Amino acid sequence: MLTYIARRVLYSIPVILLASFLLFAFVRVTFDPTAKLRNSREGAAAVARETKRLGLDRPLVEQYGDWLGKFVQGDWGESERTHDSTSAMITRALGYTVQLIFWGILISAFVAIFVGVYSAVRQYSALDYTFTGLSFIGLALPPFWFGLIAIEFLAVGPKQWFHLSEPPLFFVGLHGTGETGINVDYFRHLALPVLTLTVQIVAGWSRFQRASMLDVMSADYIRTARAKGVPRKRVIIRHGLRNALIPLITVMALDIGALFGGLIITEKIFSIPGMGRLFFDSLVAGDATVLVAWTIVVALFILLFNLLADIFYGFLDPRIRLS
Amino acid sequence: MPRVFDVAKKGGAWVNVPSALMNGAPTVATTGGKQVVTYKLNSKAVWSDGQPITSTDFKYTWDQIANGTDIYDTTGYSSIESIDDSNPQTAVVTFKEPFGAWSQLFGGLYGVFPSHLLQGKDRDAAMAKGYDWSGGPYTMKWDKGVSVTLTPNPKYWGPKAKSTIVFKFLADTAAEFQAFQAGEVSAIYPQPQLDAVDAINAGISNADKYITADTGNVEALWINMAAPPFDELAVRQAFAYAIDRNAIVKRLFGGLGVTKAVNSLNPPILAAYSDQNAFAGYGLDLKKVATLMAGAGWKKGSDGIWAKNGQKAELTIKSTAGNKRRELTQQILQAQLKKAGFGLTIDNQAAADLFGKQLPGGDFQLALYAQVATSLEPGLCTIMCSKNIPTAANNNTGQNWTRTKVTGLDAPLQVVDKSSDNAARATAAKQADKIMAKAQVTLPLDPLPNIALWSKTLTGPKGDNPIFAMFYNLSTWTQK
Repeated sequence: MLTYIARRVLYSIPVILLASFLLFAFVRVTFDPTAKLRNSREGAAAVARETKRLGLDRPLVEQYGDWLGKFVQGDWGESERTHDSTSAMITRALGYTVQLIFWGILISAFVAIFVGVYSAVRQYSALDYTFTGLSFIGLALPPFWFGLIAIEFLAVGPKQWFHLSEPPLFFVGLHGTGETGINVDYFRHLALPVLTLTVQIVAGWSRFQRASMLDVMSADYIRTARAKGVPRKRVIIRHGLRNALIPLITVMALDIGALFGGLIITEKIFSIPGMGRLFFDSLVAGDATVLVAWTIVVALFILLFNLLADIFYGFLDPRIRLS
Repeated sequence: MPRVFDVAKKGGAWVNVPSALMNGAPTVATTGGKQVVTYKLNSKAVWSDGQPITSTDFKYTWDQIANGTDIYDTTGYSSIESIDDSNPQTAVVTFKEPFGAWSQLFGGLYGVFPSHLLQGKDRDAAMAKGYDWSGGPYTMKWDKGVSVTLTPNPKYWGPKAKSTIVFKFLADTAAEFQAFQAGEVSAIYPQPQLDAVDAINAGISNADKYITADTGNVEALWINMAAPPFDELAVRQAFAYAIDRNAIVKRLFGGLGVTKAVNSLNPPILAAYSDQNAFAGYGLDLKKVATLMAGAGWKKGSDGIWAKNGQKAELTIKSTAGNKRRELTQQILQAQLKKAGFGLTIDNQAAADLFGKQLPGGDFQLALYAQVATSLEPGLCTIMCSKNIPTAANNNTGQNWTRTKVTGLDAPLQVVDKSSDNAARATAAKQADKIMAKAQVTLPLDPLPNIALWSKTLTGPKGDNPIFAMFYNLSTWTQK
């Protein structure tokens, strides 16, 4: 197994280097870090000074090499928008996004597996049809719309309808004023963004789990287990679910990686200063330094979770390890 | 940060009034042929650490702004010759050249810095991540990306602030209104975007509102006079007659009761220093468009677009990408201009690229954006005098992005900047407005109304202030 992991890690290195070079080049071509200085009092002198300092007058490959050397040492530069350390900004934003992803994935996985297994075991039952219908609706719900609707019907509406002193669920940030830590206030803030995040994920994963489970349940070894008199519950959970989870776990790992950069709308609607909002704000401000680091950090997460997917797959399916 | 002037409405006009920092209004005199402004400070004025606010703080502030690196705007500070801080309670500022807008100094964008805390340090670095010192009614704590908390400053010598105030950063306008309706926030000051107008018209319960077009804002169609075909006066004038500006304003802000276009490049709050009807002669008149274009040698092609010497009157407009109100404005313009024989292509850009690169570089024909006043001082020389066209002579730092160069315009604009005689400044500003309108240098559009909404559970909010927004009397705000 260790050899397999080592091999996969080694495979990832050239991918990371190529991806980081392409992302670095795209951001460099698209955004000029000295643009805002053109109109400063020092104008051309300031632009020339920053061009020299940032090495923008050197060939792109040389710039990339220099940037990469600093990046791996933790020196990600300073934001042109906030003058804050880029690594501090991304670390701070990651803290918020990781919270959303953790709770979102935990709940999504639990619900999707339950719905998928139930729908497969009770195929064509009334509940299977209901779950199928809801899944398609869930897949069709855009988060920018669903988030606002959820706020209206689960926060603003109840407060007004029942004349409450405050809404049952909050939707600005992850804590109320003066609140910190994991407490009731935290979960009242977390509920709506996590709901918005999970709807589409549950819809997709539950369909995937249903299909995977149906596949497994019609396999010969399941029939054999039943013929041997193994109890139905044990057949479903130990023989069926365990094998049917393998492809879902792969999909989950890939989706989690993408979520690190994919919560732009959810974080904007719920005023959560995570990775999505950092990307949006940096893009609007043309903050090239942050955009380069951001895209590469997200690419690293995607590669990491791809790697984890392969490792999990290899762990759960011994045939992969041998090949 | 402490500042010299507050802004208040008196006798129907917005005026500067000395703040709690001052012991009376500053005095202006001419000594030895030089303009001298004397600021007498309130002896009770102290920083939040108890140290007095002194004339040395004025001197330090001047040095930081006039001589600092990468300062956004040094106007006025670069005209100061010296500051005498020998008396801690009196700052005597001597100018090396006359500066009419002296009242915008030590306020506006910058305020006054505490020299005893910052002297000898990298001030930019010390302030970039927030600061806990204060010379006003509050001290500030900044939770990046989440909120700014203002806590009453126990050392403040003026009227004490009544409550701790938390500003939350809400990135989505629709969610902002929902947060207000749900009581997650007690007041909002939204941008006048289309969804904000819709939300207000839909009705918001248990709230008071104040909407005003008496603002420091002017949104305009900025014309690059160096970019053909706008280098021709007739085309610029025809362009102005091709647009029904009132119809655009009514569509954008009619729901807020704002239906008339503005007719000066000076914002409404500077009415005393401007001819607010200078551009009123430009309204939709397709006959005048035809006369002006034909008179300048343009002929309509089979596609209905004017053309001359193989060049079509195809225009490109740039603005900030993602702004729904401006996108709608552009679409209405497209339709109106098409009827008049002009093509219009929309080419919106990221704000940083537009304002940092393309406008200063002259890489535009037509741009839609707003100018926002940061003080009650008039002055368009920075953006309209020919010496401020970005060139090698000014290190390409001039802010006359529209490349405006009109005979006779520089002189009155410079009087507005330099004279300390307010009557002369007003006369010169009105004269400049007329010259700019005649040359149709650009086309003012709307005043970008300010919108203030607050919960009925809040006492204190009264309305709007064109410089300090609805927060001008924040220290009186409290929950009922």
